[in-house]
Amino acid sequence: MTQTVGEPGPRTGSRTGAACTATYVFAVCRGGDPATLTGLPGQAAGNPVRLLPFGSLEAVVQDVSAAEFGEETLRERLTDRAELERCARAHHAVIAAVAGSAPTLPLPLATLYLGDERARAALREDERRFLAVLQRIAGRVEWGVKVYARREAPEGPDRSATVAPTRTLTRTATRTATRTAARTPVRTTAGSAAAGAGAVDSGAHSGRAYLERVRGARQERERRQQAGLVAAETVDRALRGVAVASRRLRTHDTTLTGERGVQLLNAAYLVADGHEREVAAAVAEVRADPACQGVEVEVTGPWVPYSFVDGGE
Amino acid sequence: MPVGAHVGEVVPWEGPESGAPIGVPLVDLLDRVLATGVVVSGDLVLAIAEVPLVRLSLNALLSSVNERVAAPWGDGGPL
Repeated sequence: MTQTVGEPGPRTGSRTGAACTATYVFAVCRGGDPATLTGLPGQAAGNPVRLLPFGSLEAVVQDVSAAEFGEETLRERLTDRAELERCARAHHAVIAAVAGSAPTLPLPLATLYLGDERARAALREDERRFLAVLQRIAGRVEWGVKVYARREAPEGPDRSATVAPTRTLTRTATRTATRTAARTPVRTTAGSAAAGAGAVDSGAHSGRAYLERVRGARQERERRQQAGLVAAETVDRALRGVAVASRRLRTHDTTLTGERGVQLLNAAYLVADGHEREVAAAVAEVRADPACQGVEVEVTGPWVPYSFVDGGE
Repeated sequence: MPVGAHVGEVVPWEGPESGAPIGVPLVDLLDRVLATGVVVSGDLVLAIAEVPLVRLSLNALLSSVNERVAAPWGDGGPL
């Protein structure tokens, strides 16, 4: 009979909701090795991270203080950057440790039950779904690929990329463009031979020049956006070529990407374990592709297949 | 079948910080621990599962970036 290793002795057992301890579930795995969990702080240093068998699988769990994970408290904690980071990294550390020895399905941060029995009962209902997903991700890892528009157009005299506060490019695109255009050295006025403008028409002249500058800046921006999208598609296609599945994640706001510029693609690829070289080759290829010269490609991985474990029917 | 002992060591391959011991990039980690994973019904935090939790947390991250709270992603994404 499989016995959970690392149980905290007398405290384990049939606790109920009345207890002040909750069961935090990090992941579900098959054939996890309890030794990989030894010494992990998890979400409550002092309480061991342990395996909780249910059906033919195990949940990776830890006793935590229910008070610390109540809705309000959790909201507060996760609004604090340092605490958020600590929680996220602790969660990931456990998942990564388990995944080193067994196929592992990560659960999202802060999945909690009022005791082991509640957890076991709830998870057992999903056992078939878990098995299907485990089958799909076994022997596979996830690679993250992000594509950013380079902030400086290599060829252009358009200085908007350096002048404009990049942070606001997306959300207040129009306003920024207008401001930028006003500051951008005139390069569209050549044809604006409102030459005979004369003193009376100077207002009209500057107005027209202004409009042309705006139009020029807009066209340049559209051209670069278009090129960026083509590049992102090119990258995505190349990576899908080496992946068994792919998924688009939400792109990050420019506030988060900082000086890296506008994020054009944030995607995850499920790739056979051991195919790092293929991933690297695909990335090298797109980096050399003329269509991708205006973008930066950033790769992270290998990840436990976080992005490919939901919805597996 | 194990997925390989190296999966715990997720680091950016290249990029500006290449080689620096920065570990897993936090933003990428949050993409994964908040927005993905097998969703099951828990007892305690259902009310702030998924969207609000994601937004809430990324707001925290953002506000620490530049003291300004804004939507973490450009609007329009699912979730």
